Amino acid sequence: MTSRGADDESPDAELVARVRAGDDRAFGVLVDRHHAGVYRLALSMVSDVGTAQDVTQDAFLKAYSAIATFRGDAAFRSWLFTIAANEARGQLRRQGRRKESSIDSVQPVASEAASPEEEAIRSQESARARTALQLLPEKQRLSVSLRIDEGLSFREIGEVIGSSEGAARVNYFHGIRRLRELMS
Amino acid sequence: MTATCETTRSLLPEWVRRELEASEAGLIDAHLATCDDCSAESQLVQVLFAGRAVPPSGLAHSVREHIASRTRRGRQQRPWWGLAAAAVAAVALGIGVVAQADPTAVVPIYATESGSADAWMSDDGEIAGAPALDDLSEDELAALLDELTPAVSGGSA
Repeated sequence: MTSRGADDESPDAELVARVRAGDDRAFGVLVDRHHAGVYRLALSMVSDVGTAQDVTQDAFLKAYSAIATFRGDAAFRSWLFTIAANEARGQLRRQGRRKESSIDSVQPVASEAASPEEEAIRSQESARARTALQLLPEKQRLSVSLRIDEGLSFREIGEVIGSSEGAARVNYFHGIRRLRELMS
Repeated sequence: MTATCETTRSLLPEWVRRELEASEAGLIDAHLATCDDCSAESQLVQVLFAGRAVPPSGLAHSVREHIASRTRRGRQQRPWWGLAAAAVAAVALGIGVVAQADPTAVVPIYATESGSADAWMSDDGEIAGAPALDDLSEDELAALLDELTPAVSGGSA
C-alpha cells in the first residue's frame, strides 16, 4: 500500500469512496492524514508508546477491512477514532491493565521519537498538564484531548466516546475544571 | 466589544490552534485581556496543546506496511480452492454464504456506526468525582454545565 502523498487535499469522504472503489492508494492518504490523531488518542488511553503504535496499526487495519460498512452517517475521522478507542480498550483488557487513580503512579506522557531539541523546548508546565490529564476519568480525558489536540467538535467527541453531544460538552468542562484544580 | 466567557471558553481550542477568523480571534483576545479566569483557562489550553504527543517518525509508513502485509498474508492463507471448499461445506450444512468484497477482511463488530455505546462499559462512574452523564437528559446536562460555569468563570463578559 502506498500513499499519493500529503499534497492530496481531497475530502475524507471522497477518499473513502475511492477506497471502496478499489483505490488502495487513497487509503494511504487517509493514513497520512489521520495517523497522528489516532496515535495520540491511543496514547492517551494506554499511556505506552509501543502499545499506542500497535493500536494505531490495528485500528487502521480494521478500518480498512470494514470500510464497506462505513455508511457515512458520521465523519470518517469520528468513525476511525471510535475504532481506535475500542482497540485501545481491548488492548487494556487483554493486558489486564487498568489505570491507577494516583498521581504517584502516572508518568508524564511524552513521545520517545521527539528530538532532544523538541523535548528541551517543551515546557515543564506542559509536562505537568499532560500528567494531570492522565488522572482524569476516561471520558473526561478523551473529551479534553480530542477537543484540544484534534479539534473535534462536541458532536464528534460524543460519537467517539459513545455519549450525547451534551454529555461530551459536560465531560470536557468537568475535565478542564479538574485539570485547573490539579495544576493550581 | 469582547466575547463572553462562555463563547471564549468554548472557542479556546480553535483559538489556540489558530483556526479562528481574525475578527473572531480579536474578540477572544480582547476578552482574555480583561478576564483573569478565562485567561487562566487559556493558559491551560495552551500548555496542553503545546505538550501534545508527536507520533514516532515512520509510523504512517509502518501502518501502510502493516495493512499490506496482513492483507497479503490473509490472501495467501486462504487460496481460492479453500474458499470453494468452504462454500461447498456451507451449502451442505445449509448455511447461507454471503459474498464479501475482501474475503480476508475481519470486520469488527464495533466498526459500525451504531451501537458503539455498548463498547463503552466505562468505569468512570467508579472514579470519585466522575459523574455518570449518559443517563441524563439534555436539560439535566445543561443544568450541570451551568453549575460548572461559575466555578471557572466570572470575568467580564
